[in-house]
Amino acid sequence: MTILTLLRRFGTLIGFVVIVCYFWAQLPDTFMTARNWLNITQQLSMLIVVAAGMTIVMVMNDFDLSVGSMASLSGIVAAMLFSFGYPIWLAVGIALLVGLLGGLFNGVLVGLIGILPFVATLATLTMFSGAAFVVSGGKTISGRVIPEAFGNFARQGIEIGPLTVPNLTIVALAVVALVWVLLEQTTFGRRLYAIGGNLEAAHLSGVPVRRFKLIAFSLTGLSAALAGLLYASRVASANPTQGSGLMLNAIAAVFLGMTMSGQGEPRVLATVLGVLILGVLDNGLTQMAVDSYVRQILVGAIILIAVSFSSISKAKRS
Amino acid sequence: MLKRILRSMAFVAVAAAATLTASAALAAKVAVITPYLAQPGTQFYVEAFQGVAGDKGWDVNVIDTQGDVAAVISRIEDMVTQNVDAIVINVDPAQVQAGLQVAADAGIPVFGMDAGADPLLVTNVTSNGYQMAAETSTYVADRIGGTGNVVMFIFDAFPPVQVRGVIARAVFGNYPDITILDQVTPDVSDGGIADSRAKMEAILAANPEPGSIAAVWAAWDQPALGALQAIADAGRSDEGIVITGIDANPQARDEIAKGGNFEASVAQDFHGIGAATADAVARVLDGETIKQRVIYVPTKLITVANAGE
Amino acid sequence: MPLLELSNVSKAYAGTPALRQVDLKIEAGEVHALMGENGAGKSTLIKILAGVVAPDSATIRMDDRLVSIDDAAKAHRLGFRFIHQELNVVPSLSVAENIVMGQRYPRRAGIFVDWKKLNSVAADALRRLGVTHIDPRVKMASLSTGDRMLAKISAALLSADGAPARLYVMDEPTAALTREESEQLFRVLNEIRAAGNSVLYVSHRIDEVMALCDRATVLRDGQSIDSGMLSEITHDDLVAMMTGRKVTETYPAQVAPPSDETAYEGHGLSVRKGEILGLAGLSGSGQTELLRRIFGRPASAWRRGIAYVPKERRSEGLVLTRPIFENITLPHLKTHSLGGAFLAPGRERGFATSMGDDVKLRATSTRQLVQQLSGGNQQKVVFAKALSGEPDLLLLDEPTRGVDVGAKYDIYSVIREMTAKGMAVILASSDLPELLGLCDRIAVMRNGSISIIVEAGLSEDALLNLCYGRATHSEAA
Repeated sequence: MTILTLLRRFGTLIGFVVIVCYFWAQLPDTFMTARNWLNITQQLSMLIVVAAGMTIVMVMNDFDLSVGSMASLSGIVAAMLFSFGYPIWLAVGIALLVGLLGGLFNGVLVGLIGILPFVATLATLTMFSGAAFVVSGGKTISGRVIPEAFGNFARQGIEIGPLTVPNLTIVALAVVALVWVLLEQTTFGRRLYAIGGNLEAAHLSGVPVRRFKLIAFSLTGLSAALAGLLYASRVASANPTQGSGLMLNAIAAVFLGMTMSGQGEPRVLATVLGVLILGVLDNGLTQMAVDSYVRQILVGAIILIAVSFSSISKAKRS
Repeated sequence: MLKRILRSMAFVAVAAAATLTASAALAAKVAVITPYLAQPGTQFYVEAFQGVAGDKGWDVNVIDTQGDVAAVISRIEDMVTQNVDAIVINVDPAQVQAGLQVAADAGIPVFGMDAGADPLLVTNVTSNGYQMAAETSTYVADRIGGTGNVVMFIFDAFPPVQVRGVIARAVFGNYPDITILDQVTPDVSDGGIADSRAKMEAILAANPEPGSIAAVWAAWDQPALGALQAIADAGRSDEGIVITGIDANPQARDEIAKGGNFEASVAQDFHGIGAATADAVARVLDGETIKQRVIYVPTKLITVANAGE
Repeated sequence: MPLLELSNVSKAYAGTPALRQVDLKIEAGEVHALMGENGAGKSTLIKILAGVVAPDSATIRMDDRLVSIDDAAKAHRLGFRFIHQELNVVPSLSVAENIVMGQRYPRRAGIFVDWKKLNSVAADALRRLGVTHIDPRVKMASLSTGDRMLAKISAALLSADGAPARLYVMDEPTAALTREESEQLFRVLNEIRAAGNSVLYVSHRIDEVMALCDRATVLRDGQSIDSGMLSEITHDDLVAMMTGRKVTETYPAQVAPPSDETAYEGHGLSVRKGEILGLAGLSGSGQTELLRRIFGRPASAWRRGIAYVPKERRSEGLVLTRPIFENITLPHLKTHSLGGAFLAPGRERGFATSMGDDVKLRATSTRQLVQQLSGGNQQKVVFAKALSGEPDLLLLDEPTRGVDVGAKYDIYSVIREMTAKGMAVILASSDLPELLGLCDRIAVMRNGSISIIVEAGLSEDALLNLCYGRATHSEAA
């Protein structure tokens, strides 16, 4: 294996290690601590859930722009139901159902009607966002109507020895594990990758492409809704725009992850590493008091470098 | 803005050269965390805060999460990890309880700068929103003689603006001959002027009779400016429609100074809020205990008489 | 004097030699065949000629002067023109525009395209090939594959920088052509030869090469063999040069006669168990569509024991970016899984290995990605996939297109073995000898439907006449 192929395959991973080592050296007392890493995973839990769900549709070469506004909508739906006095389990259940149905709607548009995913989910992005405004009346729902137990969920965790592993981290890990099993260990995931590799060949091999698109988009919508609930729990409130930052970061994370797989296919564990790169940069640069806008430039540059490495060496091979 | 970027670039260069050592070990470290730095008002009070902080020799880290409230919690956690001496937030404290709790557990004082009152905050420094809305809504009611149709531009998603709407509704409700024709929540993603203008154009079209709209009350200046443009464009500037805003930003002041339909706004003392917040931080760092949950900074009604000041 | 002489061409990829001291000598006014099984190094050699790949070492002489091919532009200046298997034409533009594309269009007043001039330039280019039946004003999309190729060749006659065309490199030019179109192409080749220019003709079709070419260079395992004059050797000699072994038979003999039991009936035909039914016809007569209709909805077809080998293996048959075993188990994945839901990759690989052995697949492991295989081995993966559920009916659409001689024989053997076990086969092919060599009966298609079904054993000419709809003696059959 030449250095170039090594870089192409593991460049992003090496970059991640370099970033971590740099912060470790710069912030010797505060960065490489269990507490800081638990913080980072908790801070990233919502993005991990959205990105894991995004990976499912991106395996089929589709993508979903509506996840951010779906996250906002599900938070709003749950908060409104709280304000009507619904118990937590029912409100959360209905909010998740909204995510599932919203995702299914995306699946119908893309899989049955055949609209390009970019166009279809751009349209549903604005629809879900509008729905969040309609349901909430444009208000931030906060304060006493949000049950204390709901807000407390994000603040508590499970004690393991001297450490408290935050609930949000645990939920994110559970979602990653489920998506990993689904994509890598089931016949469903295998056939999803076949659709992504060659849709026509998968169809002729008997893969029910349409049904799979419906299911995949539904799962992505469901995970977006779950992320919205985590967000709402963390801020103990719901705002009709609060999930909007998740979508671009989720796509960026999946792309970063794709640079690590041999065939440029999305892999959920690689996606998680992509999320970690984004989150560690945020955490470390904030601790080093680097300006937030410069941080954005750095994040963009790192994505470009990672993707360039894999494309340049690919171009050289052929 | 450019200065900030240059300064940060220089910082990155210095850090990369690994010459960053504990240079300012004695200076108090203060973090200012806001999702709303892009908004003009926020920039004013952050600059005023930095001005006072500079005099006191503090090491100030301003963090903008660009609209992401959960990221404010994350950055509070990061600052607690860094063990800063004080944290200043500019966001609804109810939404960042998780972060405030972490800071409280670590014994780090958190101050609100135009944020909202909360038990976990040492204090909140702000203008009195109730008072500002009362000033403009009573101005409107007086100017139209307590009778006519009023269009309201509101934004309930942001609590400090939401209270303004509450007061204005109460004031107008107290006049039996004033009718609230419409309550519009404009789309603010492009700043608020363009969409407010579009909404106002639709309302004008629906109410073509001269005199059918007596006034436009806006909870902040951008919708007022949009409404002004819509009225001018419809050729209805002569109907005497009274427009008021709140915040008295430079563009609003210019329009008020012209003596047209846009008649009044209220100036928040953003510099005052920033400076008063810095004072509060200084007092706590010096060991004082602040009893006031909210520190109000006075506001000022701006009309054609004083718009040029 | 040779037009072009390459000697001692070597090229290795990551230490693996693709070409080892290869020689290639093309005389002026010659049609020279370049032959070899897939993976023998043909495409590397062509890429070196095109200036796309730099050789590790090579001596290149043109008109007895030393030259170097630094890049694609240099190759063009030397007069090399490439006509690829996959024609890159713009279907929405006119024939004339496609022919003149890449050069300055003739203009009027410096701005407006002079369409009249453009069309006459294109018509001239076509006429130089002796082609008069194509109207340069019609859209490229309305042309048959063969006519598109003729347009593409006439485009190669023109050149942007005034460098005259000297050598045409044609990669499998007849693969997608009907017989009549092929004959038109052969006439064009003679025109080129008569003008003193040369053709490097890459093809798997041995009969065609024997009939058309003056000499051949055969590549085997990266080394070259000069065939000498083709008129002095036999078909079998040439096959032996390619495969390194003596192939005595092109088509393996039938093992057992078909049974009387009907395996499938519908869409105007019936096929018995163990029978191979051929589908003949001019290209575009509806063979692919008929197979698709018989296949129906893929998911239920596989369940009902109908398997399908589509015409385009890369775009329809395979997921190139996935390993061999995943491709083979795809149609019946659930039967190789735990409880229909969870993957059992070990079990799958074991199954894929035995299927691969059945079709004589040559690969390092079933974990190898399909895109790393040669064309013949890729097609064997498609076959292994199709046979994975032990189908009762196997539908084949051009199963040996672009497959080298050795792999072809392997595929034919597999078909024979499976029919001996009772599987029924419907085989659509434009290769008439293949149909005649394998099938029990042949259905001839014209204009989208079956015009006649004949017993095998007729001559190739008779079958061709049926394809054209001319009356023959077998009308009575």
